[in-house]
Amino acid sequence: MALIEAQDLKKTYKIGTIDVPALKGVSFKIEYGEFVAIMGPSGSGKSTLMNLIGCLDRPTGGKYILDGFDASKLSDAARAEVRNRKIGFVFQSFNLLPKMSAFKNAMLPMMYSTGPKDAKKVREALKSVGLEHRMHHTPMQLSGGEQQRVAVARSLVNDPPVVLGDEPTGNLDSTTGVEIMAIFQHLNNEGKTVIIVTHEPDIAQHAKRILRFRDGLLESDEAVEEQLIAVPKPKD
Amino acid sequence: MGILDAIQTGITELLSHKMRSMLTMLGVIFGVAAVIAMVSIGEGAKQEALDQIKQMGIDVIHVKRASITGELADRAEERSPFGLKSSDARIIKDVCTFARQVVPTREVFADVKAGEKPVSVKIVGTTAGYLDVSKSELQSGRFLRDKDIHDHLAVCVLGAAAKRELFGFDDPMGKMVKANNRLFTVVGLIKPKEVGTAKAFSTMRDLNSDIYIPITVSVTDFNIASQQAIPSDVNMLQRIARKLMSKQSPENASLSEIIIQLDSEDATGPAASIVRSILNRAHRGIRDYEIIIPAELLKQSQATQRIFNIVMAAIAGISLLVGGIGIMNIMLATVTQRTREIGVRRCIGATRWDIVRQFMLEALVITCMGGLIGVVAGIGGAKLISDFAGWRTVVSMQAVIVSFSVSALVGVVFGMYPAVRAAMVDPIEALRYG
Repeated sequence: MALIEAQDLKKTYKIGTIDVPALKGVSFKIEYGEFVAIMGPSGSGKSTLMNLIGCLDRPTGGKYILDGFDASKLSDAARAEVRNRKIGFVFQSFNLLPKMSAFKNAMLPMMYSTGPKDAKKVREALKSVGLEHRMHHTPMQLSGGEQQRVAVARSLVNDPPVVLGDEPTGNLDSTTGVEIMAIFQHLNNEGKTVIIVTHEPDIAQHAKRILRFRDGLLESDEAVEEQLIAVPKPKD
Repeated sequence: MGILDAIQTGITELLSHKMRSMLTMLGVIFGVAAVIAMVSIGEGAKQEALDQIKQMGIDVIHVKRASITGELADRAEERSPFGLKSSDARIIKDVCTFARQVVPTREVFADVKAGEKPVSVKIVGTTAGYLDVSKSELQSGRFLRDKDIHDHLAVCVLGAAAKRELFGFDDPMGKMVKANNRLFTVVGLIKPKEVGTAKAFSTMRDLNSDIYIPITVSVTDFNIASQQAIPSDVNMLQRIARKLMSKQSPENASLSEIIIQLDSEDATGPAASIVRSILNRAHRGIRDYEIIIPAELLKQSQATQRIFNIVMAAIAGISLLVGGIGIMNIMLATVTQRTREIGVRRCIGATRWDIVRQFMLEALVITCMGGLIGVVAGIGGAKLISDFAGWRTVVSMQAVIVSFSVSALVGVVFGMYPAVRAAMVDPIEALRYG
């Protein structure tokens, strides 16, 4: 069973009376433990696909199966629960809550889950991104790279089957970007499925498979022949 | 998200904008403080009135002499020249057999001196029953007895203030008091009576400075302290003639007041109408008397209090409404400002309900904190008022609870719309926002 299965997935936005098709029917599968990069120019439908994969939106056609469940017709509340338990989001602009410490930020998904509020797990997640020494700092006191690492820790605390990165290196310089990719590769090596959306080819090269989109259709689906292995420079 | 976590989030949010939170709370603070302070004043006035009425006793009826002025004065002079008089008391006593006591009083002009210094005391002629109907208690000695009245004995009983004026800290028992060149032996002393700071009723006077003498003596030796207007010159001679006559006839001796004591409070209403018709006849339709029923006054004051309370509630309601609108305004601005935060929360698994609850709780925390500060300010305000203005205030627990609950309710009501707006934010749009 695949982790993600898209069957003729369609999304059409209605702007006024005009139908704007963003996704015109795409089908693909992503297995457990894959590291996939989704690429495409703006307007290719990759953001729309991202929203569908992330259960932020519902497709207007086709089927989307996540972790064995049909997620295409879930209610708003059910999708919130799916997002909480099955998906770890990492955003381009980090999206940490500014008034909370790194620890509290990382803990946030736990606050919305029915499971136990396990501080140890939060600490572990922060440790896995190398930030346990700064967990009581607020986002303002952290660098961009550190903020993104908090965001990655946040995506991990509920132990979702998939981590979804939307341009996760877009707001970072290339060195820091590579650091984040190293973390993703590390997670992937430990068995976590990682999907990132990016338009930077060298970032995409860190993945194992690249899905390219154009004009709302899947243009190509190929394995990365020479995967770049990110080696984070040890910081002083 | 657990309710405690949500409350904590709310408090954190408020503390991170101290100025804004404070301004938002002001409406509620003022509303609640105003309600509590004003209800305290009302409550204090009510207590004051109650105490005074209770001091008069609620099982009695007072019939007071009233002055008649203007056009009616001449007719009054003709039909009922003596005003309230001894015979009225006798007739009431004869007809109202159900009355426990009928006690006449006669406040008189007298020049009372302690040594050479004139003192401001009041000589009141009355009978033995007065002690009971005035709810007074003896400190020492005895009160007037029937024998004193009957035998025209020159004895007197002192009120607490009168004793202090005349004798300071000395024991007055057996000593003499000189009034209009007549000497009275002090036979008793009355315990000090509580007198309210604000006089709720014009009918109240300070009984502490009274000196009681047998009514018979007051009739023969003193002139009544009448408030009756001086009639026109034409009738002057007639008036003087009648005054002289009244000296000769004790039946026509003017009285200041007749106090009728009944078995219970309930009997006062019916008894008052009987007394009214008796006096109407005896005075031939001239209303030169006033019937005061403390039990009625009590009911009236309670009714007034109710109206006051309704007005208060309306004012409080308006100020809390204004406060609520302020809260809604700020909350709406907050929702817009925190669109991205809402988006993030929704993304990582917050349901719409979670968001509604978060914003509702924030509004609730604001209003409850405002309510608490308001309660403290209100109680403090009431204290300040009683310290500076000297008014009696009574902080009512009911007002505290009700105004605090209303402030919480305001939070729920006015937090609802912004919270729903927040929950309706589309997470995809929200993440793109700002």
